[in-house]
Amino acid sequence: MKYLLSLLLIAVFAFPAHAEDLETRVKNLEDALKAKENSARASSGLFGGSALMNPNISLVLDTFFYGSSLSPSEIGEREISGYIREEFEHKKGFNLESAELFFFAPVDPYFNLYATIPVSEEEVELEEAFFVTTALPAGLQVKGGKFKSGFGRLNGQHRHQWDFADSPLPYRAFLGDEGLIEKGVQVTYLPTLPFYAELGFEALQGDNEVLFREDAATGPHAYAAFARASLDLDEKSTLLFGPSVAFGKTNTGSIGENTGFEGDSTLWGLELTYKWTPSDKRGFKLQAEYLYRDQDGGLSEFDADGNLLSIDTLQREQDGYYVQAVYRLDRWRLGARYDGLGLFKDKYILDGGSTDFGNDPWRATAAVEYNPSEFTRLRLQYNHDRSLSGGETNREVFLQAIFGIGAHAAHKF
Amino acid sequence: MLKKMFLALLAVLFLASPAPAELKVVATLPWIGSVARDIGGDRVSVTELLKPYQDPHYIEARPSMIAAARKADIVMFNGLDLEIGYLPVIIESSRNPGIQPGKAGFLDCSRFIDPIEIHGRADRSQGDVHPFGNPHYHLSVSQMGKVARGIAEALSALDSGNRGLYMANLASFEKKLAEKRKEWDGRLKGKSYVAFHRFFEYLAADLGFRITGYVEQRPGIPPSSGHMAELADSISREKPNALITTSYHGGKAVDFLSKRTGAKAIVLPHEVGSREGIDDWFGLMDRVVKDLSGT
Repeated sequence: MKYLLSLLLIAVFAFPAHAEDLETRVKNLEDALKAKENSARASSGLFGGSALMNPNISLVLDTFFYGSSLSPSEIGEREISGYIREEFEHKKGFNLESAELFFFAPVDPYFNLYATIPVSEEEVELEEAFFVTTALPAGLQVKGGKFKSGFGRLNGQHRHQWDFADSPLPYRAFLGDEGLIEKGVQVTYLPTLPFYAELGFEALQGDNEVLFREDAATGPHAYAAFARASLDLDEKSTLLFGPSVAFGKTNTGSIGENTGFEGDSTLWGLELTYKWTPSDKRGFKLQAEYLYRDQDGGLSEFDADGNLLSIDTLQREQDGYYVQAVYRLDRWRLGARYDGLGLFKDKYILDGGSTDFGNDPWRATAAVEYNPSEFTRLRLQYNHDRSLSGGETNREVFLQAIFGIGAHAAHKF
Repeated sequence: MLKKMFLALLAVLFLASPAPAELKVVATLPWIGSVARDIGGDRVSVTELLKPYQDPHYIEARPSMIAAARKADIVMFNGLDLEIGYLPVIIESSRNPGIQPGKAGFLDCSRFIDPIEIHGRADRSQGDVHPFGNPHYHLSVSQMGKVARGIAEALSALDSGNRGLYMANLASFEKKLAEKRKEWDGRLKGKSYVAFHRFFEYLAADLGFRITGYVEQRPGIPPSSGHMAELADSISREKPNALITTSYHGGKAVDFLSKRTGAKAIVLPHEVGSREGIDDWFGLMDRVVKDLSGT
């Protein structure tokens, strides 16, 4: 009996103690959970995600169906007489532009690092790999490595950001399809003004195979400078504009079949972008650029076996432009573009004599896009292309699909 | 004579030397600007990057935002990935070392709150989800005091000479919040609503109402017709007090449901400045609670 009583007593006293114990244990568990939650939250940085152990990685797939009124052999070698001759890689039918990998993360409190690695069926390329400083005083920033030059407007944008499937004629004629992507150093300065203004200077290796020299063995032999300013006309519309220049030594085989050119080139650019965003659902963008190239040097001509036939002086002063507009309504976007070469200047002086190629290259483009989300873009584009030597019209169609997955850095304006 | 002139010059110099400049605050959203003004008083000048009518989910960085960040002493933002589409590029392009991550001029206001709806696993097939928690905490009675304190501490760290002022402003903010809370408490208890976006969850938790359904199945993705039909049935059956949304969230879909079911639809103000007379955060909350309690 006594034994039973004492057992009861123990039970009575032990139970609340036990319950209390349980309560504190639950409390502890809750606290631990909360701490865990908080620590998960602490890693939500400016760029989102947990970027401590891994950089932010994204993949952009750019794929399209291509149709053309030209024959495959006519498509393969495209020449705009007096401007450029280049290999053209699109095939009729299904094409894979690339699956492009993007990496970015802060290196430390002083640098951010970015890399762009497009993977195509044939090759893996290091398109961009550069650092950007974040801790310099006085509005200065240094970028270095391999990067898209600050020259011009379209040049700084990745292909998947473009409003059309292909680059405009002046870019193709003066910089080549890839644009100006160079190894080098860029210094930019942002003064403290009531409006946005940016000044930049670049020293570049000068690898661009159209404007400078492919596989340049000595450098830097190309330089670029640019200035741009932006004004908010009102709450809903913004203007961005400015001049650019890139100059350097040129050694290129892109002028015509069996030729080589050595000399000096200067490319001037003017850009203007106007954006009107009346609401989250609607928007309008007008973008135009004017490019002017001044080139002096010697043109070598070879026979089919590569024997030198002649060297003559060549002076080219040529220009080009594009104007494009995009109207957005919710998930739909409508675009139109007109681009051409030889607007004010079309001078091709070989050995003192002016050559008239008799062409007036131009192209008109229309596009319609459906974007189910901000990570998917479906585009149908038609080009009426009157730029090719030979005079035939190239009627081109692109049906393009672009998808992005992963953590992608925010795009600039 | 010379001495007099020297003295006069000294006096002029002394008088002309400006009072220490006010702190330049860049706030992404109007409500953050409002709280910063309440705490900073006339010691701060506030620039807001977004207008009250703009949806924070769909913003593109404008160059003028970079120009503002260039001059800022501190950038205050909502966090929880709400500004992921434009703020990183502004911060990096600003060339302002003082507002970079980890610096005193970089203030993620979500650091001070207890987020809800944290998704451990999220992918974009679920729409525009925020894995670190619901970012719309600005209508939260229980969280805003902590945010205000965080802002006061951040301003004090940058401008320690005026710590007393910031703390005094914080005290009156907290006092007003406590009074207002008494006024708001209980007015919405037990009510139920169907909402468009997950925008009112913190408020629901604080003031004891329920959100029984969402028009948006997945954030940022328009609802399917099947989902709309199902939702219309459940609204007819369960009779919530109202369908609620904001001016930039799916007005058409909500109107459709309202017509179909007879349930009342109301568009709530979502930001400071989004309606006439909503001049600060308290004004916003007063209006939201009033509009909801009228249902």
